[in-house]
Amino acid sequence: MSALLSGTGLVRNYGATPALRGIDLEVAAGEIVAVTGPSGCGKSTLLHCLAGILRVDGGTVTYRDQDIGLWSEAARSRLRRTEFGVLFQFGQLVPELTAVENVALPLLLAGTGRREARQTALDWLGRLGVAESAEQRPGTMSGGQQQRCATARALVTEPRVLFADEPTGALDVLTGEQVLGQIVRVAREQGTAVVLVTHESSVAAYADREVALRDGVVDPTGLGLAR
Amino acid sequence: MTASTLARLAVAGNRTDMLRTVLTAVSALLATIAMLCAATVLSITGWAGRYAAALLVEPGLRPGVAATLVLVSLPVLALAGQCIRLGAPARDRRLAAIRLAGATPGEAVLIATAETAVASLLGSVAGLVAYLVARAAIGDQRTLPTDVLPPAPVIVLLVVLVPVLAAAVGALLMRRVIVTPLGVVRRVRKRGPRPWPGLLIAAGLALFALPFQEHLKIHIPAPRNAALAVLGGGVLLTMAGVVLGVGWISHTAGRLLRRYGRGPATLLAGQRLITDPWNGSRTMAALLAAVTAGSVALAYRALLATNFRYYDLDNQVMGYSNGEGTGPAADPSFYFNAIRLVMVAVGLSAAVAAAGLLIALVESVVARRRAYASLTAAGVPRRTLSAAILWQTLTPLVPALVLALAAGDALVRLTQTDFDLGHSYRECVSENDPEAHCRTLAELHLPSVLHVPVPWGDLGLLGAGALLAALVAVGAGVLVLRSSTDLEELRVG
Ligand SMILES: Nc1ncnc2c1ncn2[C@@H]1O[C@H](COP(=O)(O)OP(=O)(O)OP(=O)(O)O)[C@@H](O)[C@H]1O
Ligand SMILES: [Mg+2]
Repeated sequence: MSALLSGTGLVRNYGATPALRGIDLEVAAGEIVAVTGPSGCGKSTLLHCLAGILRVDGGTVTYRDQDIGLWSEAARSRLRRTEFGVLFQFGQLVPELTAVENVALPLLLAGTGRREARQTALDWLGRLGVAESAEQRPGTMSGGQQQRCATARALVTEPRVLFADEPTGALDVLTGEQVLGQIVRVAREQGTAVVLVTHESSVAAYADREVALRDGVVDPTGLGLAR
Repeated sequence: MTASTLARLAVAGNRTDMLRTVLTAVSALLATIAMLCAATVLSITGWAGRYAAALLVEPGLRPGVAATLVLVSLPVLALAGQCIRLGAPARDRRLAAIRLAGATPGEAVLIATAETAVASLLGSVAGLVAYLVARAAIGDQRTLPTDVLPPAPVIVLLVVLVPVLAAAVGALLMRRVIVTPLGVVRRVRKRGPRPWPGLLIAAGLALFALPFQEHLKIHIPAPRNAALAVLGGGVLLTMAGVVLGVGWISHTAGRLLRRYGRGPATLLAGQRLITDPWNGSRTMAALLAAVTAGSVALAYRALLATNFRYYDLDNQVMGYSNGEGTGPAADPSFYFNAIRLVMVAVGLSAAVAAAGLLIALVESVVARRRAYASLTAAGVPRRTLSAAILWQTLTPLVPALVLALAAGDALVRLTQTDFDLGHSYRECVSENDPEAHCRTLAELHLPSVLHVPVPWGDLGLLGAGALLAALVAVGAGVLVLRSSTDLEELRVG
C-alpha cells in the first residue's frame, strides 16, 4: 500500500539555522503518527512542511502521489480547506468571529452556502461537546473549549489528514487528556490520518506509531520518549 | 468565496478596526463633498453676475476656487490612507488565522481591501446625500451656486473615485505584505531610499518655468485652462517630490543621528528612522503638501504686492491718479482676499494633517507598546523614550519643511522676479526739438528695477506653524506613551 502522505529527504533552513536536515516520513491513510523529540528539534517545522504551510528547501512532500512542493501557494491553501486540517497549541481561531463562524470558515471559503455551513459547524461543535459555546468568541471561552472548537474547525471539512502541533500543550493535564481523547476518537471514526506533534509521552501513547526527532533528523535509535 | 462571506470577513473586527472603518468612511465623506463642490463651481458657465461672491462670478477665478477645494480634500484623503495602518497588528493576526483556515493569498488581500473599499463607498455615498440635502436646504442662490449641478456622469465618477482610489492604495500597501498562515511578513527593502524624488521637484519647477521664459521661445497657444493645468501639474509634482523625498531625508537623518548623536534617545530615534524611512512620508505627507501649497500662495502674494507697487509707482511718476493709468482689473484687495482664502484652506489642511500625524504616532506607540514597556522594565527612563519620539519626528520634519517652503517659493520665483520701471520719465513740449523743451517729470530716486522679495517672515511663520502643529501631535503621542509603558502591558495579551 503506498503512503497517503510522505516526506522524502526534507531539508529546511531558517537563514543559516538548519531546522530539518534530511527527514523521511510516511503516513498511511487513517494512521496516527506521533512526532516527538526535545524542544527545538524541528517538530513544528516538519509539520508545517508536510501541511504545505512552509516550503521545503530540499526533498519532496508527496500527497496522494503528487509533489505538493510544485503547487502554487493558492493550490496548497485550497488543500488546507479540503483535504488537510490544522490544529495548533493556540492562536488558530479568528478572535473576531464566533465559535460557529470559526468552524464554518473553511466551508465558507470553499464556497458552501451560509446556512449549510452553519448547520454543519453546529453539528461538529456538538460532536466535540461545545455546542453551548457556539455564539461565543474565542476570547471568552476557556482553553479547553477553544481547543475543542479548533478541533471542530480542523475536522469540519472531513479531511484525510489532521496536523496537530501540541494541541493540548496549553491545557491542564486532565482537560488535555479529555480533549486529546476526543480528537483521536473522532479521527478514528472519520478514518482521518493524524500527524501529532508532542513532547509528552502520555500524548504519544495515543498514536499507532512514534517518530522521534533529534536535531533535525530522525533519531536512529528510534527510542523516542521514554515510556 | 461568496460575496456574503467576503462581506462578513471584511467587517469582522475589534474596536480599533471599527475606529479605522469609521475614520475611513468619514474622510471619504469629506473628500467627496469637497470634490462635488469643486465640480459644482466648475459647472458654472460664462460670466455669472447672479452671484454675490466675486470668486464665483469671474470665469477666470473659478478654476482657482475649484483647485482650492480639491486641495482641502487632499489631506483628508491622506488621513484615510494613514488610517489603513490603524490596528494593523490585530488585523495581521486575523488575516493569518483566515489563511490557516484555507484562504489563498489573493483572498486575504481581497478581504483586507474590501473593508477599505466598502467603508469609503459608504462614506462617499453619504457625502453625496449630504451634498444633495444641503443643496436643497440652503436654497439661497446668490451666495452659493445651488442653481447648478454637475453632469450626472461626473457625480457618479466622483462618488466612485474615492473608494476606487482607497482600494487601490490599500492593495498597493498589501503588495509589500505577505500573509502566511503563521503570521504576516513585511517585505523590507534592503537598500535605503535614494534621492530620486528630487527629480520630481525639478520636473515641477521646469513646468513652472516653461510658459513664462521668453528666451525658450515656447508659446502655449492654448487657452488659459491649459496654462493652469500646467501650473497645477507643476505644484502637484513638486508636492509629490517633497513628500517622497522624506524617505531619503529620514534615512539620511537617521544615519547622521546614529553617527553623531550622543545618548540613547538619538540612538533609538536614528535606528527607527533607518528601519522605516518611509514612515515620515506616510505620516507627514499632508502636512508637507499643505506647507508647499501655502508657500506657493505666500510667494504669489509677494509677487502680486510687488506688481501693484510697480503700477502705483508707474502711475505716480506718470502723474496719473484716482484709478487712471495702468493697474489690475479689480481692486487689489480682491486678489489678496482670494489668497487669504487659499491660506485658510492651507490652515485647515495643516490642522487635519496634524490630526493625522497624531493618529499615526499613537498607532506606532501602541503597536510597539510591548517593546517600550520592556525597555522601561530594563531601566530606560521614560524621558529617554519621549526624547526618542521627538527626535525621530523632528529630525526629518525640519529639513522637509525647509524643502517644502523653498520649493514652493522657487516655483513662483521662476515666473518672475523683477519689474522694470525704466530709467527716466520726461515730458517733451515740442515734437521737433525734444532735447530743448523736455522737462523731467519725476526724479527717479526709486530703484529702476523692483525686485520681488522673498517673503521670509511669512514663510517663517508658515514653517513655524507647521512645526508647532507637529509638536502638539508629538506631545499628545508622548502622553499615550506614558500609559503604554506601564509594566502591566507586559502581562496582558
Ligand atoms: N521562524 C523562525 N525563524 C528562525 N528560526 C526558527 C524559526 N522557527 C523555528 N526556528 C528554529 O528552527 C529549529 C526548529 O524549530 P521548531 O519550532 O521546528 O522546533 P520544535 O521541535 O517544534 O520545538 P518546540 O518543542 O519548542 O515547539 C529551532 O532551532 C528554532 O530555533
Ligand atoms: Mg514546536
